[in-house]
Amino acid sequence: MDIDTVKERAGPREFGPGDDMPREYREAATRMIQFHANSEIMGAYIERPFIRQAPSLDRKLAVSAQVQDEVGHGQLLYRAAEELGIKTREEMLDELEAGDGKFLNCFHYPLDDWYELPMIMFFVDGAAMRRQATLKRTSWEPYAHAIDKICFEEGFHIKHGEDILRTIATGSKRDRERLQAAFEKWWPRILQFFGPTDDQSTHGEFAMEVGLKTMSNDDLRNAFLNAYVPKAKKYGLELPEYPRVEYHEADDYYEVYEEDLDWEEFFTVAKNEYPTGVGQIEKRERAQAAVEWVRDAIESPEQGGVSPAAADD
Amino acid sequence: MIWEVFRQEKAKDYHTHVGNVHAPDAELAKQYAQIMHARRKPANSLWVVPKEEIETVHADDPGTEMGGTTQKQYRWATNYNTDETFAEEIEASQREQEEAERDLAEADN
Repeated sequence: MDIDTVKERAGPREFGPGDDMPREYREAATRMIQFHANSEIMGAYIERPFIRQAPSLDRKLAVSAQVQDEVGHGQLLYRAAEELGIKTREEMLDELEAGDGKFLNCFHYPLDDWYELPMIMFFVDGAAMRRQATLKRTSWEPYAHAIDKICFEEGFHIKHGEDILRTIATGSKRDRERLQAAFEKWWPRILQFFGPTDDQSTHGEFAMEVGLKTMSNDDLRNAFLNAYVPKAKKYGLELPEYPRVEYHEADDYYEVYEEDLDWEEFFTVAKNEYPTGVGQIEKRERAQAAVEWVRDAIESPEQGGVSPAAADD
Repeated sequence: MIWEVFRQEKAKDYHTHVGNVHAPDAELAKQYAQIMHARRKPANSLWVVPKEEIETVHADDPGTEMGGTTQKQYRWATNYNTDETFAEEIEASQREQEEAERDLAEADN
């Protein structure tokens, strides 16, 4: 199939492994799905410390369920990407631990304490959910199938995130102050979640034309702000003065002043070169190495794999 | 030889199991599947799979844990009484989960 035919036919769940897709499409879809899969895995690493730090058994169970879900989402997505025939699942996992795999900006910053957790669990996951819901209509059918399962599970994550947010927001004055501080720290990163404005996006246009993406980053950012700014206000959070976000009532549009955001940091993060992000990737690398014996044992059970002790060498 | 048949009603739907056919090879299995399972039911595509290639695990098998046997309320959106209607995708997720919870409860009875 040539690119013009792809653009002409592009629609929800239009193409699958049985179709002869041009390399350009397969590469674009791989880039997008691999990024998504990597982000699920790295998101799990951000939340994982809070299984231990959870203040109650209920929270501990729910956080561990979420971490388990995110890893599962990563697995589903690597499968969907693998079927494009550009990279194997193994290659994508190797790229991630080698620091060559790209993932969402927010997952390059580890969380310092429980007060920061809802910034990821409610706002970042909420932004991701906004985006994912539009991908039920992506043109690569295996991706849409993975998204069906992801969206099914994700409602629990965001509601649990909001539940944590509400608990803190209705707590003591000290709780509310620390929550506000966490929000001010995270808000600029959350605003950058959908990337820079569309005219600077290199891959966005093609992905729209071939139906991989169904909504532009600008529209997604606006849809996110529409739903989540009122939520922040509801819990007593004040939007910091900078970066400026201005609501234009006539157009129902949130204007984000891009010049107030640190794009140098954003692009350093995007290149996997920001120090805290490097630390997160190293965590992933260590975990990947520590369970190598499990993969070996699964791949060649007749040899019994390598002994567990080897992981500590 | 027995072939299990999966029918997809409309393009982009999931293929779902609808039954099986006797056939000596894949070609005839596809023919018979059309006759048996696609004549009076809408069908956009059919899969035929050799029955012997299908591995099964059953809820009653010893040592099997299909889930749903331990209390995991914390895993459902319905467990949290925050408002889900502020974003349509959260609401859609919750409705799907409610449906799954109902199906699980029915399966238990």
